[in-house]
Amino acid sequence: MPFTAKSGKFSANINTLTMGTGDKAIVLGGENVLPFYTFDAPIENAPKVGIEITDGGMDAEPECVKKYYEGCSTVVDMAKKAATFEGVDFLSIHLEGGDPNGENKPTEELINIVKEIADAVDLPIVVCGCKNVEKDAEIFAKASEVLSGKNAVMLAAKEENYKNVGASAGLAYKQIVGAESADDINLAKQLNVLLTQLGVDAKSIVMNVGTAAAGYGYEYVVSTMDRIKAAALQQGDATLQMPIITPVASETWGVKESVATEEDMPEWGDQEARGIDMEVETAAADLASGSNAVILKHPVSVATISKMIKALV
Amino acid sequence: MAKFVAIGERLSTTAPIINKAFTERDPEPILKRAEQQLKAGATYLDVNIGPAESDGEDLMKWAVELLQGNFDNVPLALDTSNKKAIEAGISVYNRAKGKPIVNSADAAGRIEYLDLAAANDAICIALCNGEGIAKDNDERMGYCQLLLERGLEHGMEAEDIWFDPLFLVVKGMQDKQMQVLECIKMFSDMGLNSTGGLSNNSNGMPKAIRPIMDSALVAMAMMQGLTSAIVNPNDLRLMETIKSCDVFKGNTLYADSYLEI
Repeated sequence: MPFTAKSGKFSANINTLTMGTGDKAIVLGGENVLPFYTFDAPIENAPKVGIEITDGGMDAEPECVKKYYEGCSTVVDMAKKAATFEGVDFLSIHLEGGDPNGENKPTEELINIVKEIADAVDLPIVVCGCKNVEKDAEIFAKASEVLSGKNAVMLAAKEENYKNVGASAGLAYKQIVGAESADDINLAKQLNVLLTQLGVDAKSIVMNVGTAAAGYGYEYVVSTMDRIKAAALQQGDATLQMPIITPVASETWGVKESVATEEDMPEWGDQEARGIDMEVETAAADLASGSNAVILKHPVSVATISKMIKALV
Repeated sequence: MAKFVAIGERLSTTAPIINKAFTERDPEPILKRAEQQLKAGATYLDVNIGPAESDGEDLMKWAVELLQGNFDNVPLALDTSNKKAIEAGISVYNRAKGKPIVNSADAAGRIEYLDLAAANDAICIALCNGEGIAKDNDERMGYCQLLLERGLEHGMEAEDIWFDPLFLVVKGMQDKQMQVLECIKMFSDMGLNSTGGLSNNSNGMPKAIRPIMDSALVAMAMMQGLTSAIVNPNDLRLMETIKSCDVFKGNTLYADSYLEI
């Protein structure tokens, strides 16, 4: 009997979602196959790569990243520079300085940075919060307002603040609402259900289902993303068909492989190379597990992952 | 595994108000009941127009267009002994949300309904019953084999034949209940889809009892591998049981709001 290959094309699709506006707008999702399974059906919208800068500017960057931003004196300068790096599809502004348990910068100060960046750069924008749920609700409300009409992503609403974030970002200002669940697949689904019950358009939701640096319990990440894609495509579960965006940099640049200096760990070799490796490996694994976009920090990582995507899709 | 398919049974000429609406081509009562069933979680709607000997073709076309036009091409089970009416219904049917279901063939006088389904690329409910009620599962599985071969011969995919073990009434045939459940397991072991009029089991019981019996039976039947049933989706207890069993079977992913979706 002749062998007939069975197509792994599904009858369900991941939602398509447009980030940003104009020439630089990008589209996430739309596929009806597993990640990179272009042999089953074409993947129209290749995964996208974002670069992360923070409100802390140069001071907050790892030593090895600073040289790429030489001559930049403000966060806005950095944003302009970041937009020129090879492979950058969008810009992510991580407002970590807002954390009340850290620097506790006032919301207005952070929002001014966001606004100035948005005026200076025409790339799609992701606003990452400070991880404090109350402060984030405030930050996202204000950020949604100043970025009105920009189709920006607010990353992200959580179980504790989804009502506020959903109402401001999703309902009032029609931005894209990120839904964050830390490697908890049932919560990922539940948050999407709650946000849509609130009235947020399912097609304007992007999921951050969590990640870990490669080697740090990463199997949970793979299993979570695998099961989400299986539910979305195989079972046609509309409550999980949102594209996935994964902040990688915030995980990998804090682990010892990236942080330990060469003086402390001579046998591990060059620190910059290690940091890039951790970021690239994690991002590649996230994409292979189903992320539709990754957020990275090192310009070499961005270029490398972007090249990998182009080679595969 | 795919989610359990609940086929809503409430659009039937056995209900006087629906019978009247079909006869008079009055959309309102039909749309109202259709909406109630869909809101409650029905995937398919059964459209039982009775024998409809005189104007079946016209009536079925009207019903299909009415329901699909108002509810985003809702998939339908076309239920009548008038074959021409089923064909007429399929001729105007939109498949965007699922193939039509022909309800139904059996292993006796209605075996040709399978041919009809095959010719029209439809799903067919195949009742594993001949003349009278099958005496045991050997007889049921004999009919199952006969119906399966007939469908395959006519070019159907096995997955498009949904085998019906014929659910039996507890009051009078209590001793046959486990047989029916075992029959479902046999279908499932063969990889076949199955369905049936599950609420037959509670016929003649007090109204308050029926949801309890139906829910218990659907849970047991889903454990055995039942993939669909023709039910009253407005029976909340039953639908909650089906959704819960879908979670246990891994057919849907759990979320705290799973009963609301």
